[in-house]
Amino acid sequence: MTDALVLLVVVPIVASLLPVLLGGRFDRLGWYVAAAMGVVHLALSATVAALVIDTGRISYAVGGFEPPFGIELVADGISAPLLVLVSLSTLGVLAYARRAGPHSNAFYSELSLLTAGISGVFATADVFNLYVFLEITGLATYALVACGRSPRAALASLKYLFVGTIGASLYLLGVGYLYITTGTLNMADLAVAIDSVGYTSPAVLASFGLIVTGLLVKVALFPLHTWQPGAYAESPDTVSAYISALVSTAAAYALIRLIFGVYTTGFLDAVPLVTDVLVALASVSIVVGAALAVMQSDLKRMLAYSSVSQFGLIIAAIGIANETALVGAVVHLVGHAVMKGGLFLAVGVFTVAFGVRNVDDFAGLAGRAPVVSAAFAVLAFSMVGIPPAVGFVGKWNIVVGAVEAGRWSVAVVVVVSTLLTLAYFGRVIERMYFTAPATLGDTEGAAVSTDGGDNVTEASVGMRSVVVLAAVGTVVLGFVGSELINVIQPALEAYF
Amino acid sequence: MSSVDRPVRAYVESTIIMTTARIVSPFVFTFGLFVMFHGAESAGGGFQGGAIVASSIIVVAFAFGIEPTRQWLDDSIFRLLIAGGAAAFALIGLGAMALGGAFLEYAVYNISHGVKYGIELVELGIGATVAGVIVSLFMNLAAGLTNDADGGDET
Repeated sequence: MTDALVLLVVVPIVASLLPVLLGGRFDRLGWYVAAAMGVVHLALSATVAALVIDTGRISYAVGGFEPPFGIELVADGISAPLLVLVSLSTLGVLAYARRAGPHSNAFYSELSLLTAGISGVFATADVFNLYVFLEITGLATYALVACGRSPRAALASLKYLFVGTIGASLYLLGVGYLYITTGTLNMADLAVAIDSVGYTSPAVLASFGLIVTGLLVKVALFPLHTWQPGAYAESPDTVSAYISALVSTAAAYALIRLIFGVYTTGFLDAVPLVTDVLVALASVSIVVGAALAVMQSDLKRMLAYSSVSQFGLIIAAIGIANETALVGAVVHLVGHAVMKGGLFLAVGVFTVAFGVRNVDDFAGLAGRAPVVSAAFAVLAFSMVGIPPAVGFVGKWNIVVGAVEAGRWSVAVVVVVSTLLTLAYFGRVIERMYFTAPATLGDTEGAAVSTDGGDNVTEASVGMRSVVVLAAVGTVVLGFVGSELINVIQPALEAYF
Repeated sequence: MSSVDRPVRAYVESTIIMTTARIVSPFVFTFGLFVMFHGAESAGGGFQGGAIVASSIIVVAFAFGIEPTRQWLDDSIFRLLIAGGAAAFALIGLGAMALGGAFLEYAVYNISHGVKYGIELVELGIGATVAGVIVSLFMNLAAGLTNDADGGDET
């Protein structure tokens, strides 16, 4: 049943073709095709996850060409939970999009294509194949961001396209160096080949620098984040939620896979500068991202900068480079996706129902939309890292890992960032719950069309329940955190 | 870009260009197919071949005017090319799985030289998609320039 692994990529690609082919005849076909794809995807990823839990790492040789010569797809304890996450995010976003839109067939084609790209990034075990899937992910995301109606969305998309393409090209250049030096592209095979070439060989060092920089652009770490706030803030809420949940996550996963699966800890020991630089960059990103988030008045932009800060945490865990921190990083990848996706959808519900988007407009919202406000508060507190939600599990493991490795500075930075996170979310929650609305009735019912939305004036039950489900999900994930860690840990043990 | 005061240059017929395009483009088209078919055993493949095929159509569009070309080659043809090409790829891959092999395992089709034909069909499919996407991008961009009034950026 390892066939499920390749179908995870093929099914969304086929689903992205149908609306193109039949879109002229059936107007609303896109949603149904995408929804069917989401259900099948969930069944497939659940199959893969069950196999991984039973038997450990599974591998699939595309075309029957045995690795290292053919393309190999792999699922293990790290990628299996992330693949399930992709399915669930897709279904959640589709449930939201049913009413909120965008409704065009092209949108659902692009969404399916993005699902295919991200599933591919999580599944592949071949560095060039990874580039192809990163590009599919990127291209689909540029198009999705441009779905927004405002000219600013087009500009944000163009900026993302330029920066993203540079990032992907740097990655490809790095892969080129690796291929010239070792003659192989398979990850497991590369790990052996790089060892025999020598970790301090200039070509290996150059490839590492190029690959890591390229992927950090996609992750949106602080000095390389410039594409990200615009892309998250200007795209339709549906798209913001989906890409904030999965796109940077895929790049961060690729980074973990490459640093520990290809370059291995042997490289990190031979070139200790690498981990120091990663930790330093990540620490700056954590603090600056959070500080920038505090300064934003547009809520979507605030959430975007919050992601810069949260991904700083994950990169810091990679720099710490021990098992505990990496467990924290993978848990936080999953947790961040659920929390940030849920938060963007919650903002979308508020925007549709009350036409609010700025932090100041949120005054007294809790009285008007108690359920979604409560869900928003749960998600926000989880992001701060308050137990028992999943945000705590991830951050806690990263801090413990930092202390184990003797990197006290990271532990301090994480604590400071927690306070800053509390500052920017506290500001919003204080307004929602404890500030009387200044001009009640002024904005009530005056639904402002969200960018790309079709003048939806009322948030549907589906839209609200997805937000609530995300909030419940973060708490449940927090409680089953140790089970999740039990799945992730064996796969990470192989790296140390 | 709304109506900027830019004089829209009308399309001017030129016998020399039209004749040249008429003679050259079939050869370019054939060369594109040739490159696609060579994906299996030498330098070539669907991406390069598709780009060459698309260029032969774009040459025709430049020579005979974009609107006449649009009427000659309907938008739905390109939809069919884009989706059909990629679908051919997926179907060949999935067919191998249905016969008990791995995805894209051409050998299970049990045709003599099956691997070679399989790769060539996949390359043709990729070529069709690439050509379709390039020509529709070109047509969309051209529409953006000429019919600004009715929102040429509509896809």
